[in-house]
Amino acid sequence: MLAYLARRFLFALFLVFAVSSASLLLVRMAPGDYATESLGITARAATMEQTRRLYGLDRSFAQQYGHWLARAAHFDFGRSMAYDRPVADLIPERAANTAILAVTALFAATALGIPLGIITGSRRTGLLPAVIRTVSITLLSMPPLLTSLFLVFFAARTGWLPLGGMGGGAADVTGGALVDLVRHLIVPAAALAMPLAAMFERLQSQAMAETIGQPFVLAATARGVPRLRVVWRGALKAALRPVTSIYGLVVGTLLSGSFAVEMITSWPGLGRLMLDALRARDVYLVAGCAAAGSVFLAAGTLLSDAALAFVDPRAAE
Amino acid sequence: MRTEPASFNRLTRRDASTELVSILTQAKLVRVNRATQEIEPWLATSWTRSADGLRYTMKLRPNVAFSDGQPFTADDVVFSFAAAYDERSASVLSDSLQVNGKKLTVAAVDPLTVIVTFPAPFGPGVRILDNLPIFPKHKLQSALDAGTLAKAWTLETPPAELAGLGPFVLSDYVPGQRLVFIKNPHYFMKDAAGASLPYLDRITAQIIPDQNAEMLALASGQIDLTSDAMRPEDYAPLRRAKNAGRLQLLDLGVGYDADSLWFNLKPNAFAADPRASWIQRDELRRAISMAVDRKHFADTVFLGAGAPVFGPETPANREWFSADVPQTPYDPAGAKALIESIAPGQTVRFTLLTQKGRSSLERGSAVIRDELQKIGVIVDVVPLDGNALIQRFVSGAAYDAIYFRAAATDTDPALTPDFWFSFGSAHMWDIAEPMPATPWEGQIDALMAKQIASADLAERKRLFAEVQKIFAEHQPAIYFAAPRVFVAASTRVTNLVPALIRPHLLWAPDRIAVAAGAPRATH
Repeated sequence: MLAYLARRFLFALFLVFAVSSASLLLVRMAPGDYATESLGITARAATMEQTRRLYGLDRSFAQQYGHWLARAAHFDFGRSMAYDRPVADLIPERAANTAILAVTALFAATALGIPLGIITGSRRTGLLPAVIRTVSITLLSMPPLLTSLFLVFFAARTGWLPLGGMGGGAADVTGGALVDLVRHLIVPAAALAMPLAAMFERLQSQAMAETIGQPFVLAATARGVPRLRVVWRGALKAALRPVTSIYGLVVGTLLSGSFAVEMITSWPGLGRLMLDALRARDVYLVAGCAAAGSVFLAAGTLLSDAALAFVDPRAAE
Repeated sequence: MRTEPASFNRLTRRDASTELVSILTQAKLVRVNRATQEIEPWLATSWTRSADGLRYTMKLRPNVAFSDGQPFTADDVVFSFAAAYDERSASVLSDSLQVNGKKLTVAAVDPLTVIVTFPAPFGPGVRILDNLPIFPKHKLQSALDAGTLAKAWTLETPPAELAGLGPFVLSDYVPGQRLVFIKNPHYFMKDAAGASLPYLDRITAQIIPDQNAEMLALASGQIDLTSDAMRPEDYAPLRRAKNAGRLQLLDLGVGYDADSLWFNLKPNAFAADPRASWIQRDELRRAISMAVDRKHFADTVFLGAGAPVFGPETPANREWFSADVPQTPYDPAGAKALIESIAPGQTVRFTLLTQKGRSSLERGSAVIRDELQKIGVIVDVVPLDGNALIQRFVSGAAYDAIYFRAAATDTDPALTPDFWFSFGSAHMWDIAEPMPATPWEGQIDALMAKQIASADLAERKRLFAEVQKIFAEHQPAIYFAAPRVFVAASTRVTNLVPALIRPHLLWAPDRIAVAAGAPRATH
């Protein structure tokens, strides 16, 4: 098991290195650079060149990459041009915000999706399972971008919730900073959690339906064990494997890919930072964001593999 | 605001958010009133011009202090010019503080007097000084001496270390979320009744990157103002909010900026191209101008909130727009005949680059394509990412034509020389020509040189009207329509003096107030 995890860890390290290097290369290859973005269409050529020299954009890619690599080995990921701050300071700050959002969304999706999946998987007929299935399929077909737009619109129309940001701006918020944060979390977390809960529900439902038909479940039922106990204790344990196997991956994807929701709801997370960095052709920041995203993805995959290996030792072989 | 500022140092950045921070926290020697376009005394209370028109002696306002309490003197003015011209800091302000490519010289006579000397006669005079915020020498002199001014006042700088002469001071910056500005207790301006300005105690600038979310926040009362104008598509929903009494919606009229189409007129750009015989001809551009129904263009592209225009100066620029400039008639048949005269029997086809993601540019390029198709001209529209488009243009790479809208920075043509002069960096159709490529560009250069040097406003207007006529005759850039500018604010905001130039509402932040007893917005 340890050897397996070590192998996965080394692969994760390689993934982070490859993704950040590739993103640096791709941003350099893309037309335009930070100088054209920040100075615009009417800048004088001399000013443009001066700006390029100031940010080291006049160097070849090999020089720039070598310099970046040497510093990255010492955990110095360069300085963001668009924000004029060290990338190593910006990333943890925004990653923490993304983590708050992602963990909340994951918690909500799990708390909703798994029980609903058990209900629809264990009861094939009836109004309640039919309603849950319909809602799930509808939510699954809606990307988080649309869900967040809808929720922002809902919040604007009702005035019940703040439309964006993380809160803390108003001095007279009743209930303190935590309540303010929770109020600001509702819209973005719901936008992320709703399709995710639907996915968990569908997966759990299918797994539960298959497990319900297993001989051990039939035997328990025949022995007179109450149905609720059979479903919620016996069958659930066996039916959790499909969700467990993708859970880590979902964590990684959530942490690295919630940029659409962050943009719409003004959540100052890593996804929004990455998008801003790409627009500004901020090479070092793009590389830093890509590295952070791949760390999350690798950590999620690693977590997923470890969980799977724990549940099913054959997976580690 | 849609993006956070790139820096707190206006010397090094020119993005709209950094500019807004500067407007709120800094002051200039003179201010161009964005609503009237008149020059107003600001830190300088009066000035006199020497007989040769080169030297301005400016008297500074006494008893003025920076937000940290340090007194403001002529040394700060001299320092600010030195900072803007410092080549090591690659200041973005340097180009806008030059006349004929040469720097102004500034000397302090006494603590309340400076002499600004121009390298050549300059018609707009001290108007150019509106481009320079005054920086505190006591805070930044060491950075200038060490050549590290470009790294000063970054987003990492604690707000308490910043000092300015503007109406507000930055009190808090939460990355990615908001900037909070509070009243500067040392601000020097008073209102007509002698009361201290600014009226507001606090401004919270919320960072909302998505424009749809920003409009929803405005319509629902969660924010009071936006830093930019509304898009045409926002008008209908905001109109409903206005009718419900939640918003004031201000129609500022036709804007200064119009979309334009220009061809690559660089000599020999099409030397090896079979289209060389017609693609750079005046007749092609004239035919395109005749083929587009500008009324239809304005209605479609700006959803009814636009007006036809025929040149780079729109009727909004009352001082410099010339009504005598000939207007190209809508004449598709004439356009077709012109095309046939320059490219008989040939397929006239070109690629039009535009910026992806800007809805009015995407709609405009589609209308141009459809209108030209009617006269047999095939247009391949290629929307590009903004950065890629600019790079394609400034690098001198091959392109056929571009459709774009550059924002106006000043209404006085003498302050946008890079557009008019053939050597200018904003001379879109052929940037930075070593010498005028055509006789008419030489004529414009000569007229503009005279226009800039003249101190007689009537003469300057006459000369510029001639420039506009030559431009209309050759149409190196073809203009179709300019959008009307709409801005919105919550009903509790008062004393707004909207202006057509950006930032439309926040250019005079010291006068803005909120109605007494009005409920607070969330932000």
